[in-house]
Formats: sequence, C-alpha cells, structure tokens
Amino acid sequence: MSGSRPPSLDRRTLLAAAAAGALATACATAGGRPSGEVAVLGDSAAWEKPMTAAGAAMKSVAALRLVPEVNPSLESFEQIVRSSLRTDKTPDMLKYWSGYRLQDLARTGGIEDLTGQWDKAAAKGWVEPSLREAFTYRRRVYGLPMNLAYWVIFYNPRVFREHGIDTPETWDGFLGACERLKKAGVTPLHGTAADRWPSFIWFQEILSRQDPRFYQDLMNGRERYTDPRAERALRTIASFFDKDWFTPMDLSHTDAAAALVRGTVGMVACGTWLGSTLAAAGGRPGKNVDAFVLPMADPGARPGVVFESSALVATVKGPDRTEALKATGTWLHPTVMKAFAHTLQDGCPNPRVEAANPVVDGLTRKVRGDRLWLLNRFWEQGPPELVEATVDDLAGFLLNPSSYRETLRTMQDRADDAWQVWREAEET
Amino acid sequence: MTGTATPAHGTTAKSVRVRRRVPTRTPHQAAKAGGGRLGGPLAALPWALPAFALVGVLLVYPFFRSVYGSFFEDNGFTSSYTGLDNYARLADDPIFGRSVLNTLMWVAGTLLLPVLAGLLIAVATHRMRFGGIAQLIVVLPFAISGAATAVLWNFMLTSDGAVNQVLRGIGLDGWAQSWLLEWPQNTLAMIVASTWQATGLNVVLFAIGLRGIPRETVEAAELDGASGWRMFRHITLPQLRAVTVVVVGMAIVNSLKAFDMIWILTKGGPSRSSETLALSMYRETFRLFHVGYGSAIALVLSMIVVASSWMYLRRQMPDTGPTKS
Repeated sequence: MSGSRPPSLDRRTLLAAAAAGALATACATAGGRPSGEVAVLGDSAAWEKPMTAAGAAMKSVAALRLVPEVNPSLESFEQIVRSSLRTDKTPDMLKYWSGYRLQDLARTGGIEDLTGQWDKAAAKGWVEPSLREAFTYRRRVYGLPMNLAYWVIFYNPRVFREHGIDTPETWDGFLGACERLKKAGVTPLHGTAADRWPSFIWFQEILSRQDPRFYQDLMNGRERYTDPRAERALRTIASFFDKDWFTPMDLSHTDAAAALVRGTVGMVACGTWLGSTLAAAGGRPGKNVDAFVLPMADPGARPGVVFESSALVATVKGPDRTEALKATGTWLHPTVMKAFAHTLQDGCPNPRVEAANPVVDGLTRKVRGDRLWLLNRFWEQGPPELVEATVDDLAGFLLNPSSYRETLRTMQDRADDAWQVWREAEET
Repeated sequence: MTGTATPAHGTTAKSVRVRRRVPTRTPHQAAKAGGGRLGGPLAALPWALPAFALVGVLLVYPFFRSVYGSFFEDNGFTSSYTGLDNYARLADDPIFGRSVLNTLMWVAGTLLLPVLAGLLIAVATHRMRFGGIAQLIVVLPFAISGAATAVLWNFMLTSDGAVNQVLRGIGLDGWAQSWLLEWPQNTLAMIVASTWQATGLNVVLFAIGLRGIPRETVEAAELDGASGWRMFRHITLPQLRAVTVVVVGMAIVNSLKAFDMIWILTKGGPSRSSETLALSMYRETFRLFHVGYGSAIALVLSMIVVASSWMYLRRQMPDTGPTKS
C-alpha cells in the first residue's frame, strides 16, 4: 500500500496485460494455424495418429502439414460444425460423413466444391471412381474419400476350425455356420442396440443380400418400407431371434470384439474399422481374427458389399482457406494415402495403395476381383433426420421382433414426412 | 450496533429513522449534499449491475429467445413462423408423453429413495461408533462425477453385467433381467444408480441438521420419556425441517434435469424409451435439428421446474412471502 507506485497502476498494468493476452488469443483463433499448417477437425480419437501421419507425408508432397483436432463427442462435433459453418470461426477442414449427410452440409453453401480436385485425382487413377456418387451433390463433388471400410462379418478362424466350419461362401453356408456354432455352445451372432446407431446393422446386411437393388431404392426414397421385401428382411432377422442366435442386445462392439477373440461369440457384423478394436482385444489378423463378405441370399442378384467412407471437407469461411484447398489437391496422392491408411489399418480409396492389414487386403482383393457393387451404409443413406429416427425404430424391433409390421409402418410414416421435407428443401 | 439490531417491532416511520442514524461505512459521502439519495435504494444498483448483466445474458435472454424460437419451425439454417404448431405437436407426440412419464418417475424415485435413504443413514450413524466412517463411505460416490458413475453402472446393468452374474451365481436366474433394454425397468434401474450417487450429499446435509438440534431439546425429550421412534417422530424430524426443505427442493430440481446418467447408460434408448424431458429437448434440438420443437420442450420443462419449485417453496416456507411488507 505504501510502496513507491500506487496500487492502481499495478492493477492497470495487469488489466492491460490481460487485455493484450485476450486479444492475442482472439487473433490467433481468427487467424487459424500458422502458415504451412491446416487443421482438420474430426470426431474420432482413433484417427488422430493416422491424420498426423498423413499430415507429415503431405509435408513432403505439398509443403503443408495437416494437424488433427479431435472432438470425440459425436454430438458436440456436429454442433460445432453446424453452428460455426456460417461464421469465420469455422474449422478449415472437417472429417465428415459421405452420402446424404454430406449433401445436407453442401446445401448450406458452407463447404467447398472439390470437383476439380476429384477429377484431377481420378485422371491419375488415385481414387476409386465408383465412390464418386457418395460424395456428390447436384453433380458437384464436395468431399474427398478418406478411408474405405467394407461392412463384413468378422469371425475367429480358430473357433471355426475347432467346430469344423468353413468360411461361408453361400447364404446356406452362413446359416449352417450359425447352426453349428449354436450347437457348439457359441453364440453365433452379435446383435446390438447399444449406443443407438448399431440397430441398423442387421437390417442393412440382410436387406442388401436379399435384394441390393431394393436396398438402394428404399434408402434413396424410391421404395417403401411397407414393401413385402422389407418385411421379408425383418422376418429373416426375427427368425434368427427365434433360433436364439443373437447376443444380448446391450453388448457393445468393444465387448463383442473381446468375446469374438475369446471365442464366445461366433460372428460380428461391422465395418473393417473394427480391426483396431479387435487388435486391442488380442486379435491377430489371419490367426484368431478374419472376415468375410456376407454371401448373397439371392444368388440371382448382383453381388454387393456395403461400404463406409468418411469425407475430407474444406470449409468456405475457414481462416486458412487457400491452404486447405491446396491440401485437398494432394490428399489422394499415394504417399499421403499410404501414410494415412497404413496407420489406420483400414482400406484405402486410392486403388494404388495396398492395405497393410492382411484381413482388409484380402477383402479388398475380393471386392475388386468380384467387382462387388459398392452400396453406401444405412447411416449415410437418406435424410440424416430420417436415419436418426429410423435407427430408434429398428432398436424397437430388435427388442420386440414380433413387432416388425408395426415397425415398418412407423418407418414409412417417418420416411414420407422426411422425404417431403428433403425434396421441398431441394427445390428451394 | 444496538440501533441496527432492534428495529423489527417498530413502525415503518421509526425504522426509517433508525436507518438514518446508523453510521454508514462511508460517512464522508453521506455528509455530502444529496447524500440521502446515494444511501437510497438505488445506491446498490451499480454493484448489482454485473450480476444483473450476467443473469440477463446467460439466463433471461436465452429464456425469452427460446420462447420466441418455439414459435418457429427451425432446422438450424432456415426457419419459418408456425405459431403454436410446435406445442400442438407436443400433445400428439407419444415420445413426449413417455418423456413426461419418465421425468415424473425420476421425480418420485429421487424423492423417495435418496432422500429417505439419506435421512435413515444420517440418523442411524449420528451417534454411532465409527458413524463418521460409515457416513464417509456413503458420501464417497458423491465425489464421483455423474458420467463416471454411469460408466461404472454400465458394467453392473448390462445383460452380462455384474448384477446378473451375481443373481445367477446365487441361483436367482429368474431375477436376471436385461435391465437397460426394456421400459420401465431401464428408468427404474437408472434411478437406483442415481440414488447410489446422490444419497451421499443428503447424508451430509442431514448430518449437519442433526448436529444442529439443541442438546437441551433432546435431553428434555428424554426426561419426558421419549426414545426410539417417538424421539425421531416428535423431536428429530421436526427439528430437521429446515434441512429437509433444502434436500427435497434440490432433489426435485435435480431429478427434473436428470441427464448425464441417462445419456451415458442408454442415450435415452432403446427406441427412445428412457428419455426424460431434458434428453428429449437435447435430442430434438441437437441431434435432429428440430430447434423450434426442442425449444418448446425446453419451455415445458422450465415451466414444470419453476412451477414445482415455486409451489414447493411457497408451501414449505410461507413466512417468506410478500405478506411481510
């Protein structure tokens, strides 16, 4: 109090320093990352390392480094994207979904048209051409594929061998494997409504094997859920319940992966990205973990496989827009893709990059060799709000399989409303 | 000092005079011309302004913005005025009905279980040997966050979880259930899980209340021959009234905004069966981007919270009403 300087000066200095600090922070935020770096906001912590690896590889190709920023909460990730896209506080780049979710984002006008980048990459053979539709809105491309996961059935080859079961090549072979496992005391199939979204998995798998054309049409609003073909798919799932083939419906994927490696669950339907979870549970590709594409139930139908591919998106108002656009130009470069896919241990949308994981490599060869029809996943098909609601309906069905007719009627009512809203928005 | 302490029974005029005589903390200001105004009711305003601003920005404005937003069909990007449509939709929405029912179950369950358990544990351990340690053990879960509690109870409540394993282990196979998959047991199971966590705080509050009971009152009751249940019914319980008002009030408000436990254990599912109003509001607004509809749910929830708190407090604390002036 009695010092040489009055205390108010101290306070003033302190306030000035605080204000300067706040200003500096605000400027840093508004100005984005330092020159030569572009941030990519994602929703998965498991993608942090692969993104860092891709970023380092891009440094050698384009003198640009991609820096991952992760918000592992799906909900808050979407909120940040949605609420910031129209402001200049939006992230430069995003890991987003393909299909209708990407279209929904493109509609806002907040993300960049990347058709030029796609065309250049396609001309060099750096991208699987059949994926284009999943990233297209009004004939323009708005995202570049990041990974290429196939939706397959994981199994434990050791358990199959013990019980004399061959890897199913036909639908009957698959049903036979389930029966053999059940007799051997192994729960044949993992089914789950835990975490909400996985409720669609078996509907997607069965429907796309019974009638892939109908699956595609239904998902794109050209067919109705009340159609006998949709009913047949749910009846098939209900028959699996009757035979007691499913695990309890609250078994998460993480626990199912561990049970598969242990040999107490026979088969787990999931995207190939489950590989990292299986590895963490002690799974070793080819030894106690392998995967097959669920065979077609209708041998006359065009064989297909469900895929999932995340989209790398550049925002219009991001602070490092120029650098972000430059980064999209080299994203599909084999060096960058290899670093990314090999660290992620998943499939790669660039056909020149072979998968590092032998299970994924085998599946990729099968998909390419048999020219399987790539069908986008349920989650990315149809207006997002419809998908969000129908997974709840499917969860209801999984818990009460006899309610399949009612479920389909409810789903169709939702679909009628949602498609009408979607199409009205399309016209504006 | 004495002047300030004795105005309660005086007339209005007298009390004003008393106030004028009271020395203020800044006598030089009071002595200035117009000092009476400075000492008047508006003098506190500059000091209260930051608080008003904070409450205004963070509470009042968002509230009225939500009311306004609830009259619109808003998907986060485009919005159009639809009047009371969102409220009409609420009336027809079976999920909203289920949410209200679940919310009421949470209120009833939270009033019944943690409050009662807290009271019983506090009374039982009050004069007990090692009672403090027993209380500490009960209080410990309160130190864990709601999210961590939910993760812990997830291990317990899944079909292959600890609860079912124990039941099967002791031969009660028939009692093993899929606790989180079917309504209403998923909501009931989560209320029990929440009780496990929330009881600790109530124990602390009741323990404080018990210590505040004058020893003379208890001794007088003992001399009159009261003990056991009679002591509890006629002495302890009435003496704990002030604490009970707080505990029950907090239980009502906390149960109405129950969120984290439900979100982590079931995400309101399966098939939206375990959603409460707070979850429905969050899901409609932030997952389905029905911002207007979510605002309408938020408003209904706010009205329930405010109305029930107001009614409860008014009933429990009638002396605090405006009648005093």
